[in-house]
Amino acid sequence: MNKLLMIFLCSAVTLLPRIIPYFASSALSHLPRFIRKCMMLLPVAALGALIFPLALTDFGAMWYAGLAGVASAFIVSLFRGPMILSIIIALVSTTGMLMLFPA
Amino acid sequence: MAVSAKEIREGVHDGFPIFLGYFTTALAFGLLTRTSGFTFVEGVLTSLVTFAGSGQFLMINLYNAGSLLLSIVVSVFFINSRYIFMASSLSQRLADPSSVPGRLMCGFGTVDEVFTVASFKGRKLSYSYMAGLIAVSYIGWTSGTAVGYAAGTFLPDVVQKAAVITVYAMFASLLGSETGRNAKAVLVASVSALLNSILILVAGLSTGLSFLISMATATVFGALIYSDREAGIE
Repeated sequence: MNKLLMIFLCSAVTLLPRIIPYFASSALSHLPRFIRKCMMLLPVAALGALIFPLALTDFGAMWYAGLAGVASAFIVSLFRGPMILSIIIALVSTTGMLMLFPA
Repeated sequence: MAVSAKEIREGVHDGFPIFLGYFTTALAFGLLTRTSGFTFVEGVLTSLVTFAGSGQFLMINLYNAGSLLLSIVVSVFFINSRYIFMASSLSQRLADPSSVPGRLMCGFGTVDEVFTVASFKGRKLSYSYMAGLIAVSYIGWTSGTAVGYAAGTFLPDVVQKAAVITVYAMFASLLGSETGRNAKAVLVASVSALLNSILILVAGLSTGLSFLISMATATVFGALIYSDREAGIE
């Protein structure tokens, strides 16, 4: 696959949805209500599929290391910890699991 | 549009936490582009021209999974379609909605964290403020990618392996804070997590197609269980 073509196409489908509304915002507010609602909920819906199963399968036989990281990050932010803290604690948990329980 | 040094400084100040978060997350992205067989230029170019967290990770993940180009581009578009609404919303808060370069800049910089910080500012947004906020976030993202790519091999193997978790930790963290605001978020995410796992691990579907089906199903499920108000539409 041509990587540059992929990079620029992904750039286009990222930037156009961000830029066009600044030039067409009045028309967009007239989309059907249910569609607008779906768009607002799409990020939450995407998160589950972004995490599972890849966060586990990326670690192969040591899938529990991925699970430990994801679970700890989730818990930290559930209790209003900042994202940076979530990431640091996830790194520590995952590294700890990899060192304590190597496959 | 008048340039105000004070407004730029305020934007940079408000953007500092975004800088830290983006820099660390981009370290993982830089490393990931390297382990995925990208050159340094290709890796940094991706961040320079795209400036999107989840979209870029999705692109690399699908690329590594051997997905078709069309499937990658469509998936990236779908995950980014939320920006249509973030950008529409933010465009209503501009102090001077007429400037074309100003709107182009805001459009380029409407990433999730910039959107959130700017939206909760509670007043009309000047382009100087937005320029400061966007620039500091952009520098964090692109420099993090470059450093992550360059420094990646100096990290011990176990740390390199663990760095993979940074991406997922960012997503889990977003989900955690969303669940803190509304517990229904974890239900919606569970639907897509479960469906995606079944489609990939049991049914053997391609990652891209499975992702689209899972995300779409969970979105409709979410739209049915959330009230309009909870979803943030009036």
